[in-house]
Amino acid sequence: MAFITGTAGRETEPATAAAADPILSVRDVHIRDQGTGREIVHGISFELAPGQAVGIVGESGSGKTLTCRAALGILPDQLQVSAGSITLAGHDIAGLSGKQWTGLRGSTISAVFQDPSSYLNPSIQVGPQIAEVIRVKKKVRRREARDRALQLLRSVRLRNPENVYSQYPYELSGGMLQRVLIAAAIAADPKVLIADEATTALDVIVQAEILDLLAALREDTGLALVIVAHDLAVVAQLCDQVLVLRHGEVVEHGSTADVLYRPRHDYTKLLISEHEQYGLDRFLDSPRPDQA
Amino acid sequence: MASEDRGHAVIVARARHASRSLLRNFARSIAIFLPVFFVATFATFLLRALSGLNPARIQLGQAASPTEINRLEASYGLNRGFFAQYGSWLNGVLHGDLGRSWSDGYPVSTLIRDGLTISLTVATLALILGVVLGFALGALAAVRRTTWIDRGITSFLSVISVIPAFVIGIVLVEVVAVELKLLPSAGFIPFSQGLWPWLSHLLLPALALSFGCMSSVARQLRAGLIGAYRENYVIGAVVRGLSPRRIFFRHVLRNGIGPALAVLGLEFPALIGGSVIVETIFALAGFGQFAYTSAQTGDVPAVQGVLVISIVLVVTFNLIVNLALGRIAPAARRGV
Amino acid sequence: MIRRVLSRPAGRIAVAILSVIVLLAIFGSALAPSSPLATTSAQLGHISGSHWLGTDYLGRDTLSRLLAGSRASIVGAIEVALIAFFIGAVPGIACVYLGRVFEWLTLRLVDTLISLPFLLVAVAVTALLGNGMTVALLVVGVLLAPSFYRVSRAATLSVARSQYVEAAQLSGASLTWIVRSHVLSKVLPPISVTLASTVGTGFVVVSSLSFLGIGVQPPAPTWGGLLSSDLNYLSYQPWAPVAPALLIIATVWAANLLADAIRDVSGDAGRAYVSARVKRPRQPVLSRGGE
Repeated sequence: MAFITGTAGRETEPATAAAADPILSVRDVHIRDQGTGREIVHGISFELAPGQAVGIVGESGSGKTLTCRAALGILPDQLQVSAGSITLAGHDIAGLSGKQWTGLRGSTISAVFQDPSSYLNPSIQVGPQIAEVIRVKKKVRRREARDRALQLLRSVRLRNPENVYSQYPYELSGGMLQRVLIAAAIAADPKVLIADEATTALDVIVQAEILDLLAALREDTGLALVIVAHDLAVVAQLCDQVLVLRHGEVVEHGSTADVLYRPRHDYTKLLISEHEQYGLDRFLDSPRPDQA
Repeated sequence: MASEDRGHAVIVARARHASRSLLRNFARSIAIFLPVFFVATFATFLLRALSGLNPARIQLGQAASPTEINRLEASYGLNRGFFAQYGSWLNGVLHGDLGRSWSDGYPVSTLIRDGLTISLTVATLALILGVVLGFALGALAAVRRTTWIDRGITSFLSVISVIPAFVIGIVLVEVVAVELKLLPSAGFIPFSQGLWPWLSHLLLPALALSFGCMSSVARQLRAGLIGAYRENYVIGAVVRGLSPRRIFFRHVLRNGIGPALAVLGLEFPALIGGSVIVETIFALAGFGQFAYTSAQTGDVPAVQGVLVISIVLVVTFNLIVNLALGRIAPAARRGV
Repeated sequence: MIRRVLSRPAGRIAVAILSVIVLLAIFGSALAPSSPLATTSAQLGHISGSHWLGTDYLGRDTLSRLLAGSRASIVGAIEVALIAFFIGAVPGIACVYLGRVFEWLTLRLVDTLISLPFLLVAVAVTALLGNGMTVALLVVGVLLAPSFYRVSRAATLSVARSQYVEAAQLSGASLTWIVRSHVLSKVLPPISVTLASTVGTGFVVVSSLSFLGIGVQPPAPTWGGLLSSDLNYLSYQPWAPVAPALLIIATVWAANLLADAIRDVSGDAGRAYVSARVKRPRQPVLSRGGE
């Protein structure tokens, strides 16, 4: 696990980063199941400035996916934000109508998920599905949408955009599909991209490539990222600030360096020590690094 | 470049695969049709032997002398061996000749053709009504699932799916024709005499027939759409900011329509079978009526002709539906 | 399982209605105020004290005819379902053990039967073969057999190849024990569902046939036959079809409700889905009217 000891995240403190208007602001959000009355997420808060990346780490059931869904407005019917607020590009999402949401999604906030193949329509070729987003959101004609889609496919580092354009989802590999999905997600130039366990199902090399891609997108376009993972290593490479969730609570929140080198909560310490115990480094016996 | 060649190869392979699967589809349907055809025709041929009927009974009555009976039978070729008769009949069928009626000696194909147009018109109208209304109801119920609209439609469907066609027919006659006097209750007027007279006579019988089809299509579409809505690609489309309307028409409908189309193939035999009832109630001289009267009078070649035509109709329809399924919902065909 | 079905409201309603109908079938003739065949001079009479549902065109008491006619229709439906069961289930179970050829043959036969237009064939064949009730029941039974064939074949396949049967055999369990505890529990639910819905469908077909005058010897009353004569005199007695129609609808609806209730109660076992080597027909397993 070279990531955790390699080029760790930037040193910029969350405070100065959020000085510019945050593009996504989550304030003390509680999510409750209306059916059982049980509260699942107990007060999560973070602020994301444009061009920043926040990592949310936790095991399954810790509430990280639900938080993302809340930010996208796609919580299941029986779950609701019972307290706190989420502000997206200045809009409080609590009052948004369906139509307003449709307008915001894709062009302001977008997402990619785990298991990329299931998030594409299996009976339509992948290219047209990207072009569709462009056509609808940017209101351009078919031909131009197709060209832009090809460009997007190129920008997500797919080697034969023309070929990939006319493939069906079942004909592509997981890594290629995730790139396609990223292309579709950024097609309308959103300001925030949520990557919910986007690399969990991919093998290590592909995972590294996708993370590189996300980093590059962030550099080139100022895209803000929310990286959700259950592995600290994924988050360490990319993010400025990290939240660690456990059972719906934030147990750790700070800059990446703070969290990784000066963890305060036991759970965080456990996560880190697991990496040290079973990581590749220990096996390779490389020396502990200093910031490079 | 090697990669370009590979891309080109993929496209060629896919085209070849598509035409091959079309051919395979066609071949598979034929493979089912052939045994069906032969078994069914053989069975109907067996009927004649089992029933002990002959043309003499119909044409000559009880007081016929043995010589007259023999002569009549010979003229119909009934004095030959069983398999010889079967062979020549089958040969005739494959050439479009369905034999001659025992009632009046006319070629069965002519007699059937007259009635067939009426029945097919009613059946087609019933199919259209059933499909259009079924689609509308099924789609509405799926989009508004768990609301009272959905529950109302589902209850309505479960009620009409069990009511036999003749009961519906009688209710329609009762309510619409007798009480409200909106539409006529019997008879057939050819298209040449005007659109409304033609349509008004066909609307009630078609409606009566359509209810079964309507409920099946609506149920399957609703289930298919609800299943499709649960899939992740709907979330994917939502998150990309596509409108609910677009998601419905371009993504959900396309993938959820499979079972509804498949069930159409099952419904068509029911439509043809139901024509017997409906034509009795509404006094239409169609295919079903012809079958009924031929059966009652013991006119075996006519009945055989009817059965053959029914099978051909059903299989042709199924072929069409299969092909349509293949084009519209290839994912469904692949079993995804 | 019966208890579980009765615990659901749908099951209770269905069983209640069906019990009433069955009682009518058994005791209908005895309950009738007058003989269903007795003609009087009061033809096409209206509802009155002595004739609760009026009289038909021959002056016969409609209520009596309705009550007496219940037996023919119900018994017919049950007989049809049983015939279909035997004709369908036996090859269905056997074809798993009797080799590919037999299986292929029976599958093709079943395909043939499904593609035949129901009523048309029933009408044609019955009329040709003598117009009697037994013939009609046999023909309809044969036509309805495919669903039993499919269901029993699917159930047998899932049991015969299942690992717990092998395991049970390996650990020395007796055949009867295996059958009783594993096979029956797997096979009974889907067959019960099919049985219930086939009774419903069979009832529809039998009454359709009697509507057309096939399979029943007049002047014996049947519900379908009643409707047929009602149709002719609709202008005189527009309300006449209501009673037999309601009875028919109630019976069929109750049968299907029962089928649904059994299916709901049995969960996955009630749906005889076939997988893997069997070609999946992408159609509902149950016949029309029983979805």
